[in-house]
Amino acid sequence: MAHFLKPWSILSARSSRTEHADQCFQSQNCIRSPECFVQENFGRQEQHLEQHYNDVLQTLSQRYDDRETGLQEEKKSKLESLYKQLVACGQALDTSKELIETAQEVYRCQDERLFLKVAQLGLLRDFFFLEFAKEDIDLSLSTSLEFSTPLADLSDVKTMMDSINVVPAPSAPVINPQLPNSATQTSLHVCWSLFSDDTVEYYELYYRPVLEDTPADSTCVKVKETHCTVTDLLHNAQYELWVTATNTTGISPASEKALYMTVPSPPAIKQRECSSCPEAALIRWESGNTNPVDSYIVELSETGTVGAESNITESIVAVPTCQCLIQLQAGRQYLISVRAVNIGGPSDRSDAITISTTGTFFYLLEDTAHPCLSMSEDGFTIFYGDEELCVAILGDLIPVRGRHYWEVEVDDETEFRVGVAYEDTERDGYLGANGSSWCMRHIRTPSRHKYEFLHNGWSPDLRITVHPVRIGVALDYDRGTLSFFNANLEQHLHTFHCRFHNYVHPCFSLDNPGALTVHNGIQAPDYTFI
Amino acid sequence: MALTQVSSNKCAGGFQKVFEHDSTELKCKMKFAIYLPPKAETDKCPVLYWLSGLTCTEQNFITKAGSQLAAAEHGIIIVAPDTSPRGCNIEGEDESWDFGTGAGFYVNATQDPWKTNYRMYSYVTEELPKLINANFSTDPDRMSISGHSMGGHGALICALKNPGKYKVTSCRVCVRPHLRPVRLGGGSPSAYDATVLAASYSGPQLDILIDQGRDDQFLSASQLLPDNLIAVCSEKKIPVVFRLQPGYDHSYFFIYSFINDHIKHHAKYLNA
Repeated sequence: MAHFLKPWSILSARSSRTEHADQCFQSQNCIRSPECFVQENFGRQEQHLEQHYNDVLQTLSQRYDDRETGLQEEKKSKLESLYKQLVACGQALDTSKELIETAQEVYRCQDERLFLKVAQLGLLRDFFFLEFAKEDIDLSLSTSLEFSTPLADLSDVKTMMDSINVVPAPSAPVINPQLPNSATQTSLHVCWSLFSDDTVEYYELYYRPVLEDTPADSTCVKVKETHCTVTDLLHNAQYELWVTATNTTGISPASEKALYMTVPSPPAIKQRECSSCPEAALIRWESGNTNPVDSYIVELSETGTVGAESNITESIVAVPTCQCLIQLQAGRQYLISVRAVNIGGPSDRSDAITISTTGTFFYLLEDTAHPCLSMSEDGFTIFYGDEELCVAILGDLIPVRGRHYWEVEVDDETEFRVGVAYEDTERDGYLGANGSSWCMRHIRTPSRHKYEFLHNGWSPDLRITVHPVRIGVALDYDRGTLSFFNANLEQHLHTFHCRFHNYVHPCFSLDNPGALTVHNGIQAPDYTFI
Repeated sequence: MALTQVSSNKCAGGFQKVFEHDSTELKCKMKFAIYLPPKAETDKCPVLYWLSGLTCTEQNFITKAGSQLAAAEHGIIIVAPDTSPRGCNIEGEDESWDFGTGAGFYVNATQDPWKTNYRMYSYVTEELPKLINANFSTDPDRMSISGHSMGGHGALICALKNPGKYKVTSCRVCVRPHLRPVRLGGGSPSAYDATVLAASYSGPQLDILIDQGRDDQFLSASQLLPDNLIAVCSEKKIPVVFRLQPGYDHSYFFIYSFINDHIKHHAKYLNA
């Protein structure tokens, strides 16, 4: 049989060359020198060639096997039929021989009478004819001695050989994972590369948003480069992308699908839910995105005394929820902003909020207000116009232990209660009437002012000769004191001594028609915390 | 004027001392107690004058009131004079507990035979401060006054009659001097009556803290009449915080219980 060049030798030759390329690659410490490129491209070319020729060789080899088997079978059947013929001839010869011997024997027989009998019968003659005429001994060969040689159908091999010279359709491209900081709120920058040294006319990039239930329709973009920026996308959304390569021969299979994510929208700081004290600030914000984000970054910078913005001085990363308690320095002013973060990267900065660490600052908690209480636009004055007792509201004091100071402005006639209470204090009760609230109470009679300092429904008995119109309230968690002052006179009125086991909220209530205004963000005067 | 140290005891990191001197106002030897806080060794300190009540000497306050710790903490000198001239051999001076010896009422008597020696008002407001400022590490601009019972009233009248002299005043119990000053002859009753003085006060803002034991027997006996004083102060817008303390009586146990509040009240102004 012909010797067909087996693929094994090509393989071994190729593998040694590839090994060399690998070594070269590694020895250069992944610095891709031109030599390595050549080696790699050479390797690819060789791989392609080997693949093609292997296919051709395998097909030829298969044909050879088939053909040979055919020939063998034909030979076998011819031999068999000839052999049969031979056997039949042999048998005929044997039969004839027997007859002739019998006839000779009869001829040699001396007994004339027997011979005559046989002759009379004329049997001999019949017997011979019968016997000999029994078979037509066909001495022609049953089969032809020639072998048929049908035309081998090698048209497909020919096609394959031809296609070696034709550019193959490209193989599937490789789409890259998302690079950090390559996405915006509405766009994604996608890159891919070719696995082999294919000729490519253009690429087609497909993308669609990843939705919860039914898959969305995909959009297709045709590009010539191996990268593309896709725009007009939703923010904080996941997209599925894949790419195909096309040349004159055809389209490659699709690449693997990659998942990319657009960057979130910036959050929005909730001004009225932020509070501060000399050592810290509590910032709260809205996510700004309907779908969850991974985390938030809080950035702060200290503004100079002139008010000029300096660079970001601190970033707090990996904030898991929409609020952050930040430690600060007393007596400064800060600009604070927030970003939302997902796999795609960080969002733009939110609008900044200004925080001043002079004194303690808080807003009143509108949702704690008695329905009859109304509030000014700026949120610091409460009004009441009815006769019910004790319509109250709480303040959103920052949950930081230490010292806090605020002032309450009142008038001569308004009956009020001001102090602190635990968050879970009875909302239906009177401030100071229970063990979870402490307050100073002003009662107006026609003849004079009366004052009570209430806790658990009990008050000391005291008289104050000058009605305070600006009350200073000083809370000291560590010392366990709550003090009240006539801020205008710097006069101490009363101090509660109590160990606060939890954080407290400033509380304000009106017992008759009137108003009071809260002032905070004031540095505590020295006398308040002697 | 020469001072003679009578005693010195280390106390609360400072020194509780007693001195004696010849008083020009009272024309006799007088003792006074002075507490020097640790701060006095290095700095000039403000001075709180404490006026004791009937029958007391300079000893009662410094041994019973427990004032030294708070004084040390706030860096304040406390001066506690005696309550009357002693050893003057005036006839009738020892007859009653609430008149004469131990009962000077902090007034200047205008009648004989008292008027020579019984000049406690001038002693307290003039002579003593000069003496203290000359001999100790004091800040002469920072002075305040406080007292108990007769001394409480005395503190009030000193402050009301000397606008601007005392930064602040406080007292435990202000006895309404009924008849006594009249007998001492301190002019008309109104001259040394805190209530009257308050009604006519004009001067820098005062800040007065008054504690009164609710179970004080003198209160129930109507010898103390805080309501009148309060009414007048309300009228005249003189800042007063008056506290009625349940269960407390007239004794030094009561003083001891609230001395810290009072010293803190004074410290607010003295250390400002």
